[in-house]
Amino acid sequence: MKKLILLITILFCLPSSFAQTKMIKGIVTDIQGIPLPSTNIIIEGTNKGAVSDFDGVFSIEAALGQTLVISYIGYETQKVIVDNQSEIKIQLKESNANNLSEVIVTSLGIKKSKKTLTYSAQELKSEEFTRVKDANIINTIAGKVAGVAVTKSAGGTGGSTKVVIRGNSSSTNNQPLYVIDGIPLYNNTSGQPNDSFGDTAGGNKDGGDVVSLLNPDDYESMTVLKGAAATALYGSLGANGVILLTSKSITEGKSTIDVSNISTFEAVAYLPEFQTDYIAVPNGEETWGANQKSNDHVKDFFQLGNTNISSVTLTTSSAVNATSFSYANTSSSGVIPGNSLNKNNFGLQQTGKFFKNKLNMTANAGYTTQKIYNKPVSGLYFNPLTGVYLMPRGNDFNYYRENFEVFDPLQNMMVQNWVTNRDIMQNPFWGINRNKSEDNDTFFRGSLLLDYKVASWLNVASRYSFNKVQREYDKKVYASTQGALSPPTGRYINTKTFSTQQYADLIATINTKFSEEITFTSNIGTSITKTLENDGTTLDSNVGGLVYENWFTLGNFVNNANNVQSIGANKEIQSIFATANIGFKDYLFLDLSGRNDWSSTLVNTNKLSFFYPSVGLTALISDMAELPSFIDFAKIRGSYAQVGNDIASFVTSPRSTIRGGVIINPTVGPRPGESLKPELKSEFEIGTEWRMFQNRLGFEVSYYNSITKNQYIQVPAPTTNPFGYLNYGFNAGSIENKGIEILLTGKILRDSKFKWNTTVNYSKNQNTVKEIPSELGGRINLTLAGVNNYRYSLIEGRPFGVIEGVNIKKDEQGRILLNDDGTIQKTGFEEVGNSNPDFMIGFSNHFECGPFALNVLIDGRFGGDVMSLTQAINDEFGVSKETGDARNNGGVVVNAVYPNGSAYVGKYPAESYYKQIGGRAGATGEYVYDATNVSLREVALAYKFNVKSFAFIQSASFSLVARNLGFIYKKAPFDPNISLSTGEGLQGIDVFGMPTTRSIGFNLNITF
Amino acid sequence: MILNKIKIITMTICFLFLTNCTDDFQDINSNEYGVTDETLEQNFNNIKSLFVPIFNNILVLSPEWKYQVQQGLQADIWSGYMATPTPFRGGTNNTTYDLVDGWNGFAWAAAYGDVMANTLKIEQRAKDKYDEFYALSLILKVEAMHRITDTYGPIVYSKFGTTNPVIEYDSQEEVYNLMFQELETAINILMPRITPDGITTFTATDLSSYQGDFEKWIKFANSLRLRLAMRIVKINPTLAQSEAEKSLTDGIGVITTNEDLFKIISPNFNNPIATISDAWEDIRMSADMESIMVGYNDPRIAKYFDTSIEFPVQYKGVRTGIEIAAKADHAKFSNIGAVVRTNEIVLMTAAEVYFLRSEGALRGWNMNGTAQDLYEQGIATSFSQHAVSGLTAYTTDNTSVAIDYVDPNFPENNGVAVNNVTIAWDLAATNEVKLQKIITQKWIAGFPEGQEAWSEFRRTGYPKLFQVIKNTSGGLITSQFGVRRINFVQSEKDGNAGGVATGISLLGGLDNGGTRVWWDTMGTNF
Repeated sequence: MKKLILLITILFCLPSSFAQTKMIKGIVTDIQGIPLPSTNIIIEGTNKGAVSDFDGVFSIEAALGQTLVISYIGYETQKVIVDNQSEIKIQLKESNANNLSEVIVTSLGIKKSKKTLTYSAQELKSEEFTRVKDANIINTIAGKVAGVAVTKSAGGTGGSTKVVIRGNSSSTNNQPLYVIDGIPLYNNTSGQPNDSFGDTAGGNKDGGDVVSLLNPDDYESMTVLKGAAATALYGSLGANGVILLTSKSITEGKSTIDVSNISTFEAVAYLPEFQTDYIAVPNGEETWGANQKSNDHVKDFFQLGNTNISSVTLTTSSAVNATSFSYANTSSSGVIPGNSLNKNNFGLQQTGKFFKNKLNMTANAGYTTQKIYNKPVSGLYFNPLTGVYLMPRGNDFNYYRENFEVFDPLQNMMVQNWVTNRDIMQNPFWGINRNKSEDNDTFFRGSLLLDYKVASWLNVASRYSFNKVQREYDKKVYASTQGALSPPTGRYINTKTFSTQQYADLIATINTKFSEEITFTSNIGTSITKTLENDGTTLDSNVGGLVYENWFTLGNFVNNANNVQSIGANKEIQSIFATANIGFKDYLFLDLSGRNDWSSTLVNTNKLSFFYPSVGLTALISDMAELPSFIDFAKIRGSYAQVGNDIASFVTSPRSTIRGGVIINPTVGPRPGESLKPELKSEFEIGTEWRMFQNRLGFEVSYYNSITKNQYIQVPAPTTNPFGYLNYGFNAGSIENKGIEILLTGKILRDSKFKWNTTVNYSKNQNTVKEIPSELGGRINLTLAGVNNYRYSLIEGRPFGVIEGVNIKKDEQGRILLNDDGTIQKTGFEEVGNSNPDFMIGFSNHFECGPFALNVLIDGRFGGDVMSLTQAINDEFGVSKETGDARNNGGVVVNAVYPNGSAYVGKYPAESYYKQIGGRAGATGEYVYDATNVSLREVALAYKFNVKSFAFIQSASFSLVARNLGFIYKKAPFDPNISLSTGEGLQGIDVFGMPTTRSIGFNLNITF
Repeated sequence: MILNKIKIITMTICFLFLTNCTDDFQDINSNEYGVTDETLEQNFNNIKSLFVPIFNNILVLSPEWKYQVQQGLQADIWSGYMATPTPFRGGTNNTTYDLVDGWNGFAWAAAYGDVMANTLKIEQRAKDKYDEFYALSLILKVEAMHRITDTYGPIVYSKFGTTNPVIEYDSQEEVYNLMFQELETAINILMPRITPDGITTFTATDLSSYQGDFEKWIKFANSLRLRLAMRIVKINPTLAQSEAEKSLTDGIGVITTNEDLFKIISPNFNNPIATISDAWEDIRMSADMESIMVGYNDPRIAKYFDTSIEFPVQYKGVRTGIEIAAKADHAKFSNIGAVVRTNEIVLMTAAEVYFLRSEGALRGWNMNGTAQDLYEQGIATSFSQHAVSGLTAYTTDNTSVAIDYVDPNFPENNGVAVNNVTIAWDLAATNEVKLQKIITQKWIAGFPEGQEAWSEFRRTGYPKLFQVIKNTSGGLITSQFGVRRINFVQSEKDGNAGGVATGISLLGGLDNGGTRVWWDTMGTNF
């Protein structure tokens, strides 16, 4: 007891035993004297710290001679030594590009001084992707990076995203490489649809990707490396650009808890328009009957969606180790009833320093689970929207909502109840409740890094990472589902796949000077990447069905005809690489890199290995010559590089497979007499960067020209080929991309009360498909027409991705040509549009007034076309507003002529017109729209609380946020920024895709 | 100094790399669920496995929609067997003579991708080594490909398997000549290989009812030869007679019993028509079937069709080529019945062979029987195939004729009976009437295999069928004569345009559905 009292006494007396400390009050402002709230103040070498309040005021206890480190994002860090003063004033200088210390993360996680870069790289800070959070981090960069086109899938929350950097350059893969802390992320997808009709195996579904499974709160910045010179170090992985994510670093000597919650509500925006004046004939499947009012039931079908993302991050750090733990939960209910998502992200990061800080160790682990019910599909199968849109009017939608199933005494079970028995339109509520699908995805990511400082000029680092993705798709289709979709006894589909990627490297970094004027930085390394993709089992009872109704398990399958084990890809890439950056007088930098890849996919070809070089030169004009004083910084740069894109697995070692006892020939093999080689992209880039008027105006311009040769092309092999291949694969064709990117930044107002920063990015890309062999008829079809009048192709001399369809045949005077019987003549397949935008503009604004901050992002895509088969089919079925208007007007006004030259008299009967022109196989050229659109992409109004009165809270903010608030300009009847596939095919078309949503909500952030 | 160190580091890393190796790249780059050629050569599996897709795709058994666009919405309709209640493509499609390219290429694709590709491979792997497999592949090839030439006219046949940039078409006459030769070759190879118990190397592989019994295969080959011979009777009667007579004398003759009829017994798939009819409600009894079979009180009707759900107890057919406002208007008419709800898909009946011989006898050829005997044996064989009774009453019925067609809710589709012959043989009748009876009975007996029925309808004009009311062919196909062929397919126009040009020139007419194929002359039947 005595001892305890003693201990307590000692503990209480401890502070006084360091009595030399004193209380220091300080105020932090910027150069103009505007107070800076929330700046971090730390006593160097300790874990003691403070944060300035709303007025920039802080107080901290420190000893004489200690150093205060004051830091604030966007400003240069300052150090102040504690002297006798009890009040100090600190003015922080805004950091700018001229600052030598501004570093940017580049390939392999190598940090480089931004000014020395010989290529274009754009960085986004974490606030850009957490301000208005999206369940998929990459959706938040839309409109923020010049030259990057972001297209969401129609798969709703949890769906994948198509990101194309500097235009499509490959016929097989255009997705960029994602890299976390220097280590390639395995961005697996289990597949994307490529059939405009729809898939009977559960509908056209988005197989998801891995990026959507990341937690945005785990990262502090994102760097987009666009050109080949920037990505050459990744070899074949980086051919389409690289997006680098950097994990949040942990501030030394501080323990913080960040809590945030964002809650948004999503409402359907821009539904197709429907008529309410006509109903269907009795029993009719299409609405071409009597003139009678009906309800527009479509709006009421959709519900208010809600997405909640809650996250907490705990970090603590001492001088030799640091720990960070994060957890986030995303729960969402979609706008389509029955669709919901739940995602959990766990993250752990641990760093440690050994041997007097010579050895650094970092371990990083992330685990994500995601469950989605009824992930929205597109196309005509298993899609509730077809039934909603097309239900013959005059029927009571609510009746079918409440009675989607009825009891059948003959079978002693519940069966579907619907207006009609047609494959493309079931009772939507039957689909939602009795064709339910469940997606279960898990993703594990673990990495280890050891970095040893051998000498002052030499570091050797080694990394290892392991990614594992497991996906399960489970669909239970109950008996009495429409016969094209299920056998009479029901259908069970269960697909399980797993994919892994292992990556290891060893890199030596040399940083030295050859003389006072010549600096030398170099990396030499080797790496190995092993990837196993979508190794899995599919069970599907679509042939034969189930023995006993609605018992969903393999043992209840009638036969084994469609159960199969399959594997998507398996490959290993071994590489060696080296870079050298030679600086002269700190104003001229030469960059050289080379990489050699050995890829297992190139086995049985002439050359197993490929070399990719790059060279770049940067000159800082502002340091080399005397420029007018208003110019703060000027730089020109140029680079040239080559990168490869290796071929798909198994192509060069074709094997037959077997399903249900039937041997399936190898789907593809090399064309006889030819050896396959990787695609080779050569890119030349020049650019310039300027800052002026005390950094208030900055701009950056890049021009690039790339050509990607040796496109990997598959064509149907002559059925007579002795190998039995279904397709021949060979290299031919090239795709040229050239374009310009402009990034303009302005600090328009920097008043003491009001601030306005703006950024404009502009990009224009022009691509041309070339050298398609004549035996292919100058074309490669990326999406075949099938039975629909939509085809998506690469055509010689045209831009990548031409939309083809059928037009109404017209004469030179523009008159519609009729047949003798008065029917409308149509053309064969011809070009009706082009899915590429001409140029894109992102206009981002940041306003600050006192505790309020407002961000507004306007995103525009100009040019390009989209086709709407939704509209075409709505017309054919007589449910669209157009068909109602036409009937009210007594028909369609046409300027048409018979073969004998006599003009068509009167109005064309609406039903006949729309049955000929509308529909998925009609004159689809009539349903092509200008894709130009300008949207209010992101709006956030934030309020920063004055947390002075709450000692335990370091900062707190609340914001109102909105995403896709509305279109300022749009012509298409749907959102052209949503795509039915994030693969290469099925672009520029809508076939009953989920309508776009606008979301509004609030975001709360608190740091303890 | 530093430069030296850099050199050392570089060399070290290169050395580290070199200790890796690329020897296992071949394994990594191979699909672990696939099979190697060596594995597949065991037990001739590299040859035997090729027969499976052939059996499965003469008629595409799976997926059902492929059958629907291979034959279900073509020959099955134009033969007068079936009709669709569904207004596909807004009600203008094959059934209204607006030929749909998006559908009509599937027959071609299956024939070349699944049949010809595999028969060629069998030839490459088996000819002169394991000839029995080669012979069987020839028979299956003729069975599959005569349907294709009958559908399109000139086709790729002798040049199949060449790597010429332009793959030329053969005229239909050349194709028929080659098919006669191939059947002869097959019979000559199989004759000496017949085994007493019928068990052969092919038994386990054979997906037909023959179970590898070469004797039965020879009979089928001869019966096929008889069918082809009769097809060309109007354009080349001499060759027709000699090939027909040869089929009875060569080897062991033709099919005579129902045990020997040619059918595929699929381990996995039912006749796709069952799903298309029962689950999709996309195919129904035709008005012609109702008119003739109800008129004849034909007992086989209960095997072929269900009574209508909408009109209980009645058999109700749908007329082809009508204006359809809603699928539901005719969806509850008669389903296709028990004959398709099975995994046994009959491609040639024994009854057909009797009817072919009956027609041959009518033409004065040596067919081992009189026209009347063979005609009545044909009916009897069909009755026994379907296990129905009432044969005598039926065969001697000389009063029943086809009835008028009534569409209960849409009188504009009604039609007066057109195929006005009775059942019983009438010695006094003209050859034309006798032929009409033979073909009408062959038509009934052949159900549901629409391809042969459509070809014979084109050749003979029998049975007479209701004309379409709605013709949206744009003047290319007359309602009087119906569809005579299918135009060449899109995939060929895209991939073998030069070949298509040779085809059109051999066709000797415009490439549309109104142009007649070689054996389909405007001339009379006699």
